[in-house]
Amino acid sequence: GGAMSFLKRFPPPAEGVRHQQPDTEAVLAGRSLGAGTLYIAESRLSWLENSGVGFSLDYPTISLHAVSRDLSAYPWEHLYVMVNAKFEEEEAKEAPMAEGEEEEDSDDDVEPIAEFRFVPSDKSALEAMFSAMCECQALHPDPDDEDSDNDYEGDEYDVEARELEQGDIPSFYTYEEGLSHLTAEGQATLERLEGMLAQSVSSQYNMAGVRTEDSIREFEDGMEVDMAPVVAGQFEDAEVDH
Amino acid sequence: MEVSHSVKERTIAENSLVILLQGLRGHVTTVDLRDESTATGRVTNVDAFMNVRLAEVTFTDRQGMVSHLDELFVTGRNVRYVHIPDEVDIRATIEQQLQAIHRVRYFGGRDKGRKEFPRAKHK
Repeated sequence: GGAMSFLKRFPPPAEGVRHQQPDTEAVLAGRSLGAGTLYIAESRLSWLENSGVGFSLDYPTISLHAVSRDLSAYPWEHLYVMVNAKFEEEEAKEAPMAEGEEEEDSDDDVEPIAEFRFVPSDKSALEAMFSAMCECQALHPDPDDEDSDNDYEGDEYDVEARELEQGDIPSFYTYEEGLSHLTAEGQATLERLEGMLAQSVSSQYNMAGVRTEDSIREFEDGMEVDMAPVVAGQFEDAEVDH
Repeated sequence: MEVSHSVKERTIAENSLVILLQGLRGHVTTVDLRDESTATGRVTNVDAFMNVRLAEVTFTDRQGMVSHLDELFVTGRNVRYVHIPDEVDIRATIEQQLQAIHRVRYFGGRDKGRKEFPRAKHK
């Protein structure tokens, strides 16, 4: 038979490899390409035969993938990958096709399909291989999706996205850092609260965060004060302008 | 009830009907694919991009050949229809998913929800 001309020599991926499975046979449309290593990397899916030639598949071209353990459908447990692309293959197809079906390639909307099977010698690895592919696939959402309107104005999205853009804004300020970030208003609030704390006899209980009988009695003069958290730095109410 | 850890995905879900599909987790359903094959199985996960993960799947390819797959992941792009099982109350499912998102947003986050419920004076 002829060599599969889409096979090329390239170095194995070095970055973002979520899973690597050696001793894995690759099969295209029922024809074995040999034994090699499957690399499930974040950028693409690659398979390299032990001789060093192989191929890569881009996730956007992968329609679906699955774990097949149905031996009546295919005699070995494997990872099935359906790709939206044409690869050179021999005429032989897995399932004999009826006469009329031969036109499927020229059907208006029918896109090319290539079916790969990756058969690891270690069947127990299939779960991990499948999950790694799910994770990587999720990193490549469809850019052509007309429905996805990324122009969301939701509160949550804006706030956190803006904060992320700012880079190194810490979630917590230590007391010293926090002081320097206070606006004049925040500073005034801090002073007022600290003054109130100083006046409170049971402030030690407040600081510890434990509400004892004593501290409850202390506050029974009717003055219900909703104080900002005592922990320094968490002035959530302050409008901090970045 | 599981909700995505991603802010962006939660926002997308909240603003589209994908949120209904996410509520199908655990249900057996049929997904029609773009190429006219179908997959029937138990929904393990649906993400904001409508990628669907199914378990214990009966897969019928476009030629009508049936096979069984332990697990199947279909990219959102290739999903044509997701059948909503009869036993699923659509409105209730959407509401539950929205509540789950709001719980994460308001009670799981660090700076939200301070007014949502009476704050204990002493932490």
